Amino acid sequence: MAILAAFLVFIPLLMIQIGILANLPLIQGYPDLILITILAWSLRREVRTAWHWALIGALLVTWVSAMPFGVYLLAYTSVVGLALLVRRMVWRIPFLSMLVMTIIGTFVTDSISQLALQLSGRPFVIEYTFAAIFLPSVLYNFLFAIPIYALIGELARWLYPLEPLYES
Amino acid sequence: MSTASRNLQTIVFVLIAVGLIALALGGYLNPFSRILLNPLIELQTWVYSRYQVAQNVLRAPQDIARLQQRNLQLEAQVSQLQAQIIELQQQLTEARILSALVDFARANPENRYQAAAVIGRDPSPFLRYILINRGSDDNIRRGMPVVTQQGLVGRIDAVTANAARVQLITDSGAVVNAKIQPSGTQAVLKGQVSGDLLLDLIPQGAPIEVGNLVLTSGLGGGYPPNIVIGQISGIRSQPQDIFQSATVQSVVDFNQLEIVLVIVNFRPVNLEPLIPQGSQP
Repeated sequence: MAILAAFLVFIPLLMIQIGILANLPLIQGYPDLILITILAWSLRREVRTAWHWALIGALLVTWVSAMPFGVYLLAYTSVVGLALLVRRMVWRIPFLSMLVMTIIGTFVTDSISQLALQLSGRPFVIEYTFAAIFLPSVLYNFLFAIPIYALIGELARWLYPLEPLYES
Repeated sequence: MSTASRNLQTIVFVLIAVGLIALALGGYLNPFSRILLNPLIELQTWVYSRYQVAQNVLRAPQDIARLQQRNLQLEAQVSQLQAQIIELQQQLTEARILSALVDFARANPENRYQAAAVIGRDPSPFLRYILINRGSDDNIRRGMPVVTQQGLVGRIDAVTANAARVQLITDSGAVVNAKIQPSGTQAVLKGQVSGDLLLDLIPQGAPIEVGNLVLTSGLGGGYPPNIVIGQISGIRSQPQDIFQSATVQSVVDFNQLEIVLVIVNFRPVNLEPLIPQGSQP
């Protein structure tokens, strides 16, 4: 059920992202709703399908994006790995973890994307990408992190109602 | 009282009455009537105004309810009409774009076009691609050029049955062989990470100026020749460099793309078999 829910969550979010938000850049930065959703899902203690969600999200984004195959897969699974690490290390997951992971997740995704594009022969301007893409994207992601964290929390509680509170 | 006395009284009253009427008709009683009537009129006005206030108080709840209901109806009607206006404006904009595209297609009868609506953009901030709602079912193939009535947009990068992905010329991986008019100088147009266009590999000493037109040259077989790209907006030339470069202002507003035309009778030339294996990266 949780895996099916991933499709039901990601498909509309991806449609919003490529159809609406991609037309509303902040300088050159765009929000990554799939990344934020994967983060919010992975940080929930009751969730057992974080890797599945990362895989599904990455495949859906790869399907519509011209980014080389594997970039989103590597980026999202790396971010999930970090999020699960944070989940284990921090006894209670406050909202602060979500915001910190949003910065880290955006950085990881942008870095892997940039590296892959550089390897494929595209120019790389670190100052420009940091100022015009990374920072605005982080700001944009912050904006969406708050509502998505709350909504995904409700979904997790609904899908895992009887899960114990401790980490196995 | 005797009959004669009553008759006398009657005659006296009649005479007084007639006299008063005559005086009134003659206007001689006006000052007196004003003094007498003014307070009465004031009183009457006050009484009537109090009546109206009382009537309003009694009828107000009924009126307010009716007015509120009417207001709601009118507000709903206004909302409906506003939605209708927006829809009509959208249709008008689409019709204008389509009309311009039809004019462009008529002006360039050597090409066959397939119109397509833009339905999305690449989710990555590093890439500049758009998604269109026409695919292989509509004879769209990889490599076909995409234009608007203004000029070159890009080319088809990937195709599914009902959709395609277009690489814009502003993408940092896009390269277009171009020529500068009126001098005819050959150059290479490259997209930048920032979304700007850079015209590179312009020979030193080539006569170029700000405002010169940049067109596709057709070299390499990637794009048909003579499609407008834009105008030179700035020139960078260093005496020690072999080539000079120039920034180009595109004629197409890539942020406002709604409908594009795919040139379906153009097949890009595949040069890969001609490139020696050792020289490939």
